[in-house]
Amino acid sequence: MVEEIQMWTEKYRPKQLKQIVNQKEIVNRLESFVAQKDLPHCLFAGPPGTGKTTAALCLAYELFGEYFQGNFLELNASDARGIDVIRTTVKDFARTMSLGEIPFKILALDEADALTTEAQQALRRTMERFTRTCRFILIVNYSSRIIEPIQSRCALFRFPRLSREDIAGMLKFISDKEGVKLEDEGIEAVLYVSEGDMRRAINTLQAASAYGESVNADSVYKVTGKARPEEVREMLELSLRGDFVQARKKLHELLINYGLSGVDVVRQVHRETFNIDIPETWKVRIANIVGEIDFRMSEGANEEIQLSALLAQFSLAGQEIGKT
Amino acid sequence: MSLPWTEKYKPLGISEVVGNEKALSELVGFLRSWRRDASKKALLLYGSPGNGKTVSVYAAARDLGFEIVEVNASDKRNLEMIQRTIGSAATMSSLFPVKGKVLLIDEVDGLSGTEDRGGVGAIISVIKSSEHPIVLTANNPWDPKFSSLRQYCEMVSFDKIRAPTVRKVLRRICDREGIRVDDSVLEALATNAEGDLRAAINDLQALSQNKTELTMEDVVLYSRDKIRSIFEVLGKMFGGSEARLIVDDVSSTDVDYELMIHWINENIPQHMSDAKELSDAYDMISRADVFLGRIKNRQHWGLLSYVFELMSAGVSLSRTVTKPHFVKYQFPSWIRNLSKTRVTRSKLSSIGTKIGNKCHTSSSGGVEHYLPYLEIIFQADPKRAAKISKFFELEDELIEKIAGDKKTHNKITKELKKE
Repeated sequence: MVEEIQMWTEKYRPKQLKQIVNQKEIVNRLESFVAQKDLPHCLFAGPPGTGKTTAALCLAYELFGEYFQGNFLELNASDARGIDVIRTTVKDFARTMSLGEIPFKILALDEADALTTEAQQALRRTMERFTRTCRFILIVNYSSRIIEPIQSRCALFRFPRLSREDIAGMLKFISDKEGVKLEDEGIEAVLYVSEGDMRRAINTLQAASAYGESVNADSVYKVTGKARPEEVREMLELSLRGDFVQARKKLHELLINYGLSGVDVVRQVHRETFNIDIPETWKVRIANIVGEIDFRMSEGANEEIQLSALLAQFSLAGQEIGKT
Repeated sequence: MSLPWTEKYKPLGISEVVGNEKALSELVGFLRSWRRDASKKALLLYGSPGNGKTVSVYAAARDLGFEIVEVNASDKRNLEMIQRTIGSAATMSSLFPVKGKVLLIDEVDGLSGTEDRGGVGAIISVIKSSEHPIVLTANNPWDPKFSSLRQYCEMVSFDKIRAPTVRKVLRRICDREGIRVDDSVLEALATNAEGDLRAAINDLQALSQNKTELTMEDVVLYSRDKIRSIFEVLGKMFGGSEARLIVDDVSSTDVDYELMIHWINENIPQHMSDAKELSDAYDMISRADVFLGRIKNRQHWGLLSYVFELMSAGVSLSRTVTKPHFVKYQFPSWIRNLSKTRVTRSKLSSIGTKIGNKCHTSSSGGVEHYLPYLEIIFQADPKRAAKISKFFELEDELIEKIAGDKKTHNKITKELKKE
């Protein structure tokens, strides 16, 4: 018996390009690659949950068919970071011949923006040397984090956030299949909290359905209340109020209890800065502070020290906002 | 110095090992009833350092008349090495089936980095082909890189040794060595060791060199020595007014600078309460850390002096408003939290890796995008939780972590048994 897939994000992940919702233009271009049986190096950029990894998988299924296994390798740069992996695993895969009629393999490198500049340089050389036998699909949130020479060697695909209709359609489809009663206000609530992120929408739906037969606004907000810790916002507010020591305590909780990486924290802080109640001009100044620390974190040795510095800067900003 | 007391007073048989009765009987049972076709051919003993894992294996082997073939973390542990030492010992039994053997792979968490590439795989293949029981020890088996290894092992947890038990062992040693000592002194040593019997015995030996009597004063001085030097440096640093002197003070200690930067980070807010001071001081320590990163990433050791200058004088001279005052320095909470939560963090990352394997994401992606929802499902729907646990191939300890509490965990375990 084939074991049933338990996570709905996987169970309902599209298997063919044409099943991918919304990203019509992207899908058209990718389908033409399949028709021509050729592919340039690609850079898939876009926010989480917009179908980047799925598109790479579907593309490979359709190009390779039964030879998918040996010809497609998915690596995650945030797990396999560093120059060593590029030098060995990637190279070993890239330089050997493909099976079947397609003369190249595909290597999808997820979260490629986690690679250091040195590793990207090594990657660039590998991409160049083995173009004949291997095409790369680099998957990132921000294309700007990829070095210029790699960007110029790739066809860029920008994945926009998914529309409300597309997510709603998927939610209804899954609920039907799973026998979940999904109320209209439940859909609204999921759409609101998922911000165009399909993965978050589906996970929210699945978790909310665990509370009972029907998914409504209450069960959805119960899920998001638990799943999205308020700690980031609280930390931000504490530091702006000048309570550095308590803010730092919250920081430690986020890094340790929630297992967030320093980059995750900065990303979430950045997202929050535009939601908090401060003068508009200060929102940009705060973003500037966040950006500087984000940069220093990529150069520095200790994320915790850099993030503490971020909170100290916020304390000062908070004081100055108070004076205005 | 004569023989280390940890060697001299090593238990010779299982009956002399203290603590962990249940784990010990599992160990002996495993060795006694081991068969080539057993479903789990290896035993993984895990727990914090100094609670008797390795010693127990030796004691049990002695009781049963087994010979031990050992590899430990100090050996270079790549594929070749493991197969050469243990692999041959594992399969050569048929030639001389005189005496039973146990293969001991000590401190598997010593496996790391490129040097040990393939090490885990090598151990697994040795386990599969072994003609002898294999016992592994580890401090923290929840690291994702061991997830495949765990499937081949029966897991046995060793707990910390309770302070009264440690005290009894110390007392026995003192009696044999002819050292006069009060119970309260041994109590202090035992508490200090936090469940690490080996550390307690080592402390006792270090303290009682050339002595026939041990007092509370000896113990207090011993444990405070190291901490005190950090306090002194911090006091001079935050109180100083001359950049050169401050830098000299901080760089002349034997405290490691990577630790020092955390001590400074922890204690800045105690010396500076003004937001401008705080922000300036943190800008300096943040710059120091950037230089530290450049040193680490690019081996530019010449940059080290900037690290010292920025983190010491740079931080200290940012204080312009707050008056100098006495501060009771705190141990870096970040480091304390890190070491307290090491096991939790590896469990999280193990869970993340298992999710990532099935859901096309990284280990941290698994933790960020899936784990919060799994926690909700585990709480609300044990039946589904059981199915999900099976789907991700989660081990019991990982299920317990996601479940969050005992009651939920029990419910899920019950559902799993029904499956």
